[in-house]
Amino acid sequence: MSDAAVTIENLRKTFTLQTGKGLKRTSSEVVAVDDISLSIPSGQSVAFIGPNGAGKSTTIKILTGILRPTAGSATVLGWVPWTDRKKLVRQIGAVFGQRSQLWYHLPPRDTFELLGKIYELPKNDYTKRRDMLIERFGIGTFLDTQVRKLSLGQRMRAEIAASLLHHPRVLFLDEPTIGLDVMARQELRDLIREWNKEEGITVFLTSHDAGDIEYVARRVVVVNHGKVVLDDKVSSMRRQYLGAKVLSVKYHDNPAALDFPGATIVKSSQYAVRLEVDTQVTAIEAVMEHILKAGSVADITIEDPPLEEVIAHIYSQPPQPSTGEEDGE
Amino acid sequence: MSSGITVADKYWWISLTSAKSNLAYLAEIGSRVFFLGVILYIFLRLWQVTYSETGSQTLGGLSLPQMLWYLAITESIILSGPRVAQSVDQDVRTGAISIHFIRPLSYPLYCLFNTLGERAVRFFVNMSVGALISVVFVGFVPMNWLGFFCFLTVLPLAFVIDFLGNFLIGLAAFWLEDTNGLVLIYSRMTMILGGMLIPLELFPDSWQATLKMLPFSAVVYGPARLFVSPDLAFYQDILFRQVVACIFFALAVAFVFRIASRRVFANGG
Repeated sequence: MSDAAVTIENLRKTFTLQTGKGLKRTSSEVVAVDDISLSIPSGQSVAFIGPNGAGKSTTIKILTGILRPTAGSATVLGWVPWTDRKKLVRQIGAVFGQRSQLWYHLPPRDTFELLGKIYELPKNDYTKRRDMLIERFGIGTFLDTQVRKLSLGQRMRAEIAASLLHHPRVLFLDEPTIGLDVMARQELRDLIREWNKEEGITVFLTSHDAGDIEYVARRVVVVNHGKVVLDDKVSSMRRQYLGAKVLSVKYHDNPAALDFPGATIVKSSQYAVRLEVDTQVTAIEAVMEHILKAGSVADITIEDPPLEEVIAHIYSQPPQPSTGEEDGE
Repeated sequence: MSSGITVADKYWWISLTSAKSNLAYLAEIGSRVFFLGVILYIFLRLWQVTYSETGSQTLGGLSLPQMLWYLAITESIILSGPRVAQSVDQDVRTGAISIHFIRPLSYPLYCLFNTLGERAVRFFVNMSVGALISVVFVGFVPMNWLGFFCFLTVLPLAFVIDFLGNFLIGLAAFWLEDTNGLVLIYSRMTMILGGMLIPLELFPDSWQATLKMLPFSAVVYGPARLFVSPDLAFYQDILFRQVVACIFFALAVAFVFRIASRRVFANGG
């Protein structure tokens, strides 16, 4: 058997949705997860993304044993989540960005203590682990401050530290950076990435934030309409999935019109042009020729399109068969 | 590998954490205590008039001091009740219940011990004020250690029965659009049929046997009556009815929760 932390085969989950009232009430079947197959090796960090209602939350709930699928199979660390939930929950951790596990009127220390009891950690092990997490997550300064008085960034650091107390081998993070400012967001991403690399913990992340995906995950799985529409390395997602480049060109004087197949002018002023080019229609060498022909170039920058655009583009595509990318880190 | 932590430790710790957390709500508890003081004073006056108008020393077998202490305890029990049904309802509707499913815990037991911790703090604060008012206006009631011990054994069971009733209503959120109506009916039945305002002995004779059979009396009337007039036979009777009610409700909770947990929907993306 492979060293997979998570395996999913032909997973399907449907819900019965009732609409209307009284005698006019009708039932219809909603497909939340539609034939998803995946394999995630131990230690990999995977971003599991999709628009609202795509089926990612349902998939996570199946993988954590909360929901039972309608069809298909799944294992997490070798256990079937919905039948072995009691064993599995001791090996997984979860952070839901919008749902706190910390006691609001008590300091994080009290929640840590309680979690130590809930997971039945031996006293010495608990103390050692807690102290290490306090140091690594920099929460010593507010360990004894009531949670309601903490900033959101501090609270999320404490949330993640709390979810790691019992040495989980798989960490499910559901929008962990939601609502955080730029600095706090980056700090949290760094912590998760470090933890993934140094402890070898498997990270299963859902987020709507392109930065989370780019900084934390090595692999991205995009779901939409309950199906996997893309399964690839984050680094190659931009290149392979959307063959577009954004070029910003500054000329010494007024340039000639830039009009060639695959080019879209995004913005133009007297001496500057910003254009998006589909390099699958016009190769980048030919693009450069067109630009140089149009006038004397003072400066040029070539960028990949923002990840948000790539994701938005993927969301708008019809479902395609999964590539089943399973590379390790 | 044994960590030395038992399941009992785990849930006991939940109660302790809950009690600690609720001490942070002292302002809210303070406002309830003020309300309790006002209610007790009004009822003292009403009962004083009633006793003097009827010209009798006892009503329903209770003297005026016993009646005020009875009210102090029933009001303390009712006012210490946490919002269990509403909390479970919210957990179900928002999907927050799922957080509890990914821990080595039983959700119903987690809620039970959380509630017991919260209720212990609230009851203690309420009862302190109730006792103070009672002592100031009517003095002590005859009490012995055995009676006090009996009271301390039936009180937690009363809280457990009340929790189970409320928890069942909260679980109804899996099927109903709104559980507030049920909560209102349950709480009013506990207050009225449980004997919060008047002891069950003052209800019509034909009602008494039925009211004493209902679980509401095991929550409110039983512990309060036992406190003001300790009696071993009554203690055995109330304890028996409490145990029966606990078993019945616990089985109902286990059955409904088993069905309900299959209906957990993926609320919130």
